[in-house]
Amino acid sequence: MKEVVLPELAEGVNEATVSYWHFEEGEKVEEGADLVEMMTDKATFNVPAPATGVLTKRLVEEGEVVKVGAVLAAIEEGE
Amino acid sequence: MLTTTEPKRFPPWLKKKLNLGEENIWTREVIDSLSLHTVCDSAKCPNINECFSRGTATFLILGNVCTRNCGFCAVTPGIPEEPDGDEHLRIAEAAKRLNLKHVVITSVTRDDLEDGGATQFAATIKEVRNKLTNATIEVLTPDFNGDEKSIRKVLEAGPTVFNHNVETVPRLYKWVRQEADYERSLSVLRYARGYSAKLRTKSGLMLGMGEEKEEVVNVLEDLKSAGCEMITIGQYLKPSNGKLEVFRFVHPDEFKEYADLAKALGFRYVASAPFVRSSYCAEEGLLKV
Repeated sequence: MKEVVLPELAEGVNEATVSYWHFEEGEKVEEGADLVEMMTDKATFNVPAPATGVLTKRLVEEGEVVKVGAVLAAIEEGE
Repeated sequence: MLTTTEPKRFPPWLKKKLNLGEENIWTREVIDSLSLHTVCDSAKCPNINECFSRGTATFLILGNVCTRNCGFCAVTPGIPEEPDGDEHLRIAEAAKRLNLKHVVITSVTRDDLEDGGATQFAATIKEVRNKLTNATIEVLTPDFNGDEKSIRKVLEAGPTVFNHNVETVPRLYKWVRQEADYERSLSVLRYARGYSAKLRTKSGLMLGMGEEKEEVVNVLEDLKSAGCEMITIGQYLKPSNGKLEVFRFVHPDEFKEYADLAKALGFRYVASAPFVRSSYCAEEGLLKV
């Protein structure tokens, strides 16, 4: 099981708003594909899927403000 | 100028892909372990994840407090400390650890120093040359209040590229660069151009601050007349609260139009797209010139 964590975006940027999920729970995702779009003051960032597998859990909702380091989702790895 | 606490709605083309790799962390470790500043962090550049992931960064010398307070810039304004005595050594060491082929150095504006910090620029250039004999060096400098002696001090140290940004069109200077002067910045570029035929000169512009197309064209023509060969054009993004609001998000097609225009004017290196910044992928510039 692979956790999707919100990485550090820039110095002094501690949080971002979940803007858009590209995948539903239960859908298959490829490593590197845009998984979830996050918005900060500066720009919109796409967090890529860290592994290939099934997106088993979306842990944050669109509109939610999330801190850097927070777990956004879980992926069950596998082809 | 209004400030707002609501998150800005960005157009669909203003999206960055985050890199989750280890390289990002390594670049940060090198910079932090040597107690260095980058403009990437201090100015909150949206490209930081991308550039750090490629092992590149733009060093910020002379501290991270600026004697000016430009409307577009997130760097802390105020009274800076005395220049750091061995900063140039640590910059060169960082460049070596990052195995940089092209080293980009910028600074805050130091109107409090008699030579505007030119001595520190020169020392940093020389030290990087000592440690990385084959690296090319690009400096992105303040205007040194137009003082030719100070500019010459930097040029004598032998940078490969001399970059000084005009930032915006003359009409918007009173909001964007209150303490600067458009003609003064052109004269800085003109002076650098005249110093050596081998030197590459470069400038940068932000769009989306209320400028008209004709004004941008005039600036490009002025820069060309001042002997500038390299130009970067990017979208202004509000870096922090209290800074200028974005007037307009400029479509990528418009950036492409300006790129075509700049090339037609004779610029040898043109980077024009929403996320382009003065030293974004700077190493590519010298491949084209």
